[in-house]
Amino acid sequence: MPRALLIGYGNTLRGDDALGPMAVERLRALMPQAEFISCHQLGPELAERLAAFDCAIFIDAACDGEPGTVQAMRLSPTGGETSSITHHVHPGALLELAHTLYGSAPRALLVTGVGASFENHEGLSEKGREALDEICRLAPELLAELSL
Amino acid sequence: MSTITIDPITRIEGHARVTIQLDEQGEVQGARFHVTQVRGFEKLCEGRPFTEMPALMARICGICPTSHLLASSKACDDIMAVRIPETAEKLRRIMNLAQIIQSHALSFFYLSSPDFLLGMDADPEERNIMGVVRKYPQMARDGIKLRQFGQRVLETLGGKRVHPGWIVPGGVSHPLQAEQRDQILAEIPEAIRITRGALQWFKGQIESFRAEVRSFANFPSLFLAMANDSNEFSAYNGWLRFIDANLNIVADHITGTDYLNYIGESCNDDSYLKSTYFKPLGLADGIYRVGPLARLNMCQSAGTMQADEELAEFRELERHSVLSSFYYHYARLIEILFSIERMETLLHEAEILGKNVRAHASPNNFEGVGILEAPRGTLIHHYRIDQNGLIESANMIIATGHNNLAINHGVFQVARQFVKSQKLEQGMLNRVEAVVRAFDPCLSCSTHAAGMMPLDIQLIAADGTMIDRMRR
Repeated sequence: MPRALLIGYGNTLRGDDALGPMAVERLRALMPQAEFISCHQLGPELAERLAAFDCAIFIDAACDGEPGTVQAMRLSPTGGETSSITHHVHPGALLELAHTLYGSAPRALLVTGVGASFENHEGLSEKGREALDEICRLAPELLAELSL
Repeated sequence: MSTITIDPITRIEGHARVTIQLDEQGEVQGARFHVTQVRGFEKLCEGRPFTEMPALMARICGICPTSHLLASSKACDDIMAVRIPETAEKLRRIMNLAQIIQSHALSFFYLSSPDFLLGMDADPEERNIMGVVRKYPQMARDGIKLRQFGQRVLETLGGKRVHPGWIVPGGVSHPLQAEQRDQILAEIPEAIRITRGALQWFKGQIESFRAEVRSFANFPSLFLAMANDSNEFSAYNGWLRFIDANLNIVADHITGTDYLNYIGESCNDDSYLKSTYFKPLGLADGIYRVGPLARLNMCQSAGTMQADEELAEFRELERHSVLSSFYYHYARLIEILFSIERMETLLHEAEILGKNVRAHASPNNFEGVGILEAPRGTLIHHYRIDQNGLIESANMIIATGHNNLAINHGVFQVARQFVKSQKLEQGMLNRVEAVVRAFDPCLSCSTHAAGMMPLDIQLIAADGTMIDRMRR
C-alpha cells in the first residue's frame, strides 16, 4: 500500500485559516492508513519526512474564490516563491527540497478551501464549515486517485 | 544630494529599509538603516497580570519566542523574589542553548550562506537558499538538520517548536523524562559533526571575503555581554559588562537594579527602532555591539573543550578584540559548537531529571528585571506591577536595538566602500544588505514589525529625478 501523508496547515487563531489543521483532526479517524501532520506553517524541516512518502495531500485555506468552495491542484516539485524559507515554504518548494535533498518527492495535491473570515478569532464561519465538510468528503477519494 | 533606497532589506528577520545619500559628486555622504513598522508590546501588556507575561511576550516573535519567554520568566522570578530550583535553572539553560543553536543555524545556513556559497555578486534570482539547495545540497541538508536539532530540543522540552509554554515564573512546568534526555543525547554527535564541518568550511572561505572583512562594520566600539566570576561564556546567569576595543573593562557588575545608569535609549525620527548607547559616554560616543562577536570578545574561555579550541583560533584574527562584524558569522558557528557541548554536559548531570522544578510565590516586589543572552545579544525585560500584580509599565531592550548604532555605522561604511557610481549594481546593493545581515537583526523582536514589502531601490539625483531603479 502506498505510504500517504496529509499535512494540514494554518493559523487556528485566524478564523477560517484553521481549515487545514481542522481537516487533519477530522480525517485522522476516517483514514487510519494515512499519516498526518498539523502545523502552523510549512517549514523546510518537513522535507526529509515528506521524502519518505509515496503520496501527499497538503490542505490549506484560501482567501481567493467563492467562499465555501474547494479546489484540488496537482503539485510538482518546482519551487515557487523561494527567496526566503525561514517562516513559510510553498508546498511546491517543499517537494523540490524533498526531491533535491533527500532523493524523492511524493505525488502530491494541494487542496484548498475558500474561507470567508480570517479575523482574530477561533472557529470557522458557515462557509468555512462548508469547505471543511467538502475537503473531508473529498480527501479519501483524492488520495485513492493519487495512489493509483 | 541624491538618495538610494533599499526597501526592504532581504534575508533578515523582519522588514527594514536602507537609504544612502550621495553628494553632488555622486560620493556617499551618509547612510541610514530604517525600521519601518511598530508592534508596541511594551504598551499593550499594560494592565495584564504579571503571570501572563511569559506567554504574552513569547508572541513577540516566531524565531526567538524562547528568548523572550526566558527573559520574561526571569523578570517574574524577580517580582516573586524566588530562587528557582537547581534542576529548573539547568533545564532553562538547555532551552536557551537550543534556541541559540536553531537561531544561529537559521542565520548562517538559511539567510547568509547564499552570499558565501554563491557569491555576493551572484544573480539574486539564484542567490537564495534554493540556489544553495540546488548547487550545494549537502550544505543545505546540514543546515536543515542542525536547525532541526535545535527545534527538536525546544519541542521535546517545551512541547512545541514555536511558542513553547513550558517555562513559567518560578521555574518550568514539568520535569524532564529520562527517555527525552536520551533522545536529545542521541542526536548530539551528528550536530557536532555538522557544526565542525561548517566551521572548517567557513574558515577556508574567509580569505575570499577580505574586502567584506575590512568594510563590514569594522571599527572600534564597546562591547556588551553577560559576564561571570569565571570569565567563561555565559548566556543565562551573571551580570552585564562593557569592554572596549582593547578588551579593557569599562563598566562591570551591572545588574537589573542599575542597568538604566549605563544603557540609554534614543528615539529616531526615521525609524521605529530605538538606538541604545553607553550612557556615561553619551549618544555620540557610546556606540557598542552585542551578540556573538561581543560574547566571544568578552569571555576568556568558552568552558567546553572543542569550543575553546575554536575560540583560541578565533582570537588569533586580531591582537585585541575582533572588530569586523563580518566575523559575527564565524562567532555564531563557535557558539553553536559551545551550545551543543554545554547542553550535553548539562544533560549528563544527575539532577537534570530532578522532580522539583518550580517555586511558587505571590509577588514580593513591585519591580522585576530579567536579563539573558539571546542568540542575537543581550535581552532585557523590565516590569513594574501594581498592588494587584497588574503590569504598570514594561521596558524591553532587545539585541537589535543595542546594535542599531553599529548597524547604521556599518551600512555607511559598506556604502562608502562599494557604492561608487550612479548606476546601481546588484553586488553593491547586496553588500549593503549583507552588512545588516551580519548582525542578524530581528525586527519583529525589536519593534514588532510585520508585513512584507517589495524591494525597491531608487537612485535619485540632486534635482529629484530618478537616475536608476531596481525592484524585486
